[in-house]
Amino acid sequence: MTTAQPPISGPISARSRLGRIPSWQITLGIALFVLGLVVVAQFQSDGPRAQYASDERGPLVQTAITLQSQQDALKAQILDLRTQITDLETKGQGSVATATDLGQRLQDARLAAGLIGLQGPGVVIQLRDSDQTVPPGDNPNDYLVSADDVRTVVEQLWLSGAEGVAVNGERITTGTAILDIGGTVLVNSAYLAPPYQISAIGPPDLLDRLTAAVGFRTFAENRAQAFGIQVDYAEPADVSLPAYAGTITLRYAQPDPSVAPGGGASSPAP
Amino acid sequence: MNKRRNQLSLAIVAFLLGGLIVVQLRSQEAGNGLDQLTPTELTVLVGNLNTRNDQLRAEIATTQAELSALQASDARGDTSVGQLQSDLAKVRAWTGLDPVNGPGVRITVTGGIDAPSVQALVNELRNAGAEAIAVNDLRVEPNSVVNGPAGGLLIGSTALGDPFQVSAIGNPETLTGSLTRAGGIVAQLAATAPSAQLIVTPIDMLLLPATTEDLVPAHGRPQL
Repeated sequence: MTTAQPPISGPISARSRLGRIPSWQITLGIALFVLGLVVVAQFQSDGPRAQYASDERGPLVQTAITLQSQQDALKAQILDLRTQITDLETKGQGSVATATDLGQRLQDARLAAGLIGLQGPGVVIQLRDSDQTVPPGDNPNDYLVSADDVRTVVEQLWLSGAEGVAVNGERITTGTAILDIGGTVLVNSAYLAPPYQISAIGPPDLLDRLTAAVGFRTFAENRAQAFGIQVDYAEPADVSLPAYAGTITLRYAQPDPSVAPGGGASSPAP
Repeated sequence: MNKRRNQLSLAIVAFLLGGLIVVQLRSQEAGNGLDQLTPTELTVLVGNLNTRNDQLRAEIATTQAELSALQASDARGDTSVGQLQSDLAKVRAWTGLDPVNGPGVRITVTGGIDAPSVQALVNELRNAGAEAIAVNDLRVEPNSVVNGPAGGLLIGSTALGDPFQVSAIGNPETLTGSLTRAGGIVAQLAATAPSAQLIVTPIDMLLLPATTEDLVPAHGRPQL
């Protein structure tokens, strides 16, 4: 007797067959699939690293990583010391008018210098290396974000009215150089890994001003359209810029004696 | 028995999977682009990091001394006006809010040069350790950007003219050496801007003016 079953056999029997497969087999199947993916990913990403592990680059890479993490710790120490100094300087000065006034001027000077973190309206521009295949005969470095690219965006932000800029957490100050080493970028002598996020605080229409600037549009056309450098924009509600944690000690430049300490001469010297 | 074997194989696969995921994540983390650098570039990077770390250690020593002096005067109940004044003078000089003097170099630029080349020159001076820079008689701040077409260069709204001068305070030998070395910025500009002429002169005593801007942010607020 087979007549009772056919009309409803299709879906139900398929479901019950699935139900008969023990759940551990399904888990194992999924696990094996993921395992396969990871193995492939591992082999693909192993190529370039396997090269340097066997040559002189291995120790150098390790040294660079160690020095960079030492640098991070040193910078944190400087910031901590500066915070303690500021706290002491502002503490208990209220009764002395001269000290209060000096404290306020010191705070303004530190703000102007980038020695205090800044928060406010602004933009974040992200630059990423091209993901295009480099055509034969082209220079592969043209397809990577260069120090020139980062510098151009920083300069265009200043020209558009930015009042503070940082690149991947390094505050741009009066002494900041932005340099290329190979296909990577150094800012304040800190090694930065791509993607590069250039954060700026400024007027509420900073992004409009930037994207309308001829200099920025030319940059975008030359680099993004020609080489596929990826330029992304974000306008977070609040942008925050870290304080500069480097040296501010002058060895060669001295405050000019014709000006009273902290005097802020308004007439430029000859 | 059969079930136990199944569980065992499942456990082995899960163990391998976990291990591989960790290896994969670690190797992605360690990448950081450093593996793309040549040994020469890595050596330059290591040198750069070393120099900077030494500067940071020196800064820590100075700052620590400053803090100790403040703590001492605080313990005595002094108002530390003198300390505040010296701090203020130091920060204002570094930032460009006050004029500074000292030895350095003067670069006289004659002929056609474009704005990015002048910016590259300023960037190189900063890299070589310049402590204060001026273009003609305008102090260079982070937000001072030379722009405009070649022949009509501006800094802010001030025309640079031809010739114009870039002055920098710092070690004259280091600055001169770094600008004029083989493959340095002067050599690069000779190739990319052949109609421009750059003359680098070490100077015993330069006087650089203060900036004319107050530089205090109007839109940002301090993170306290």
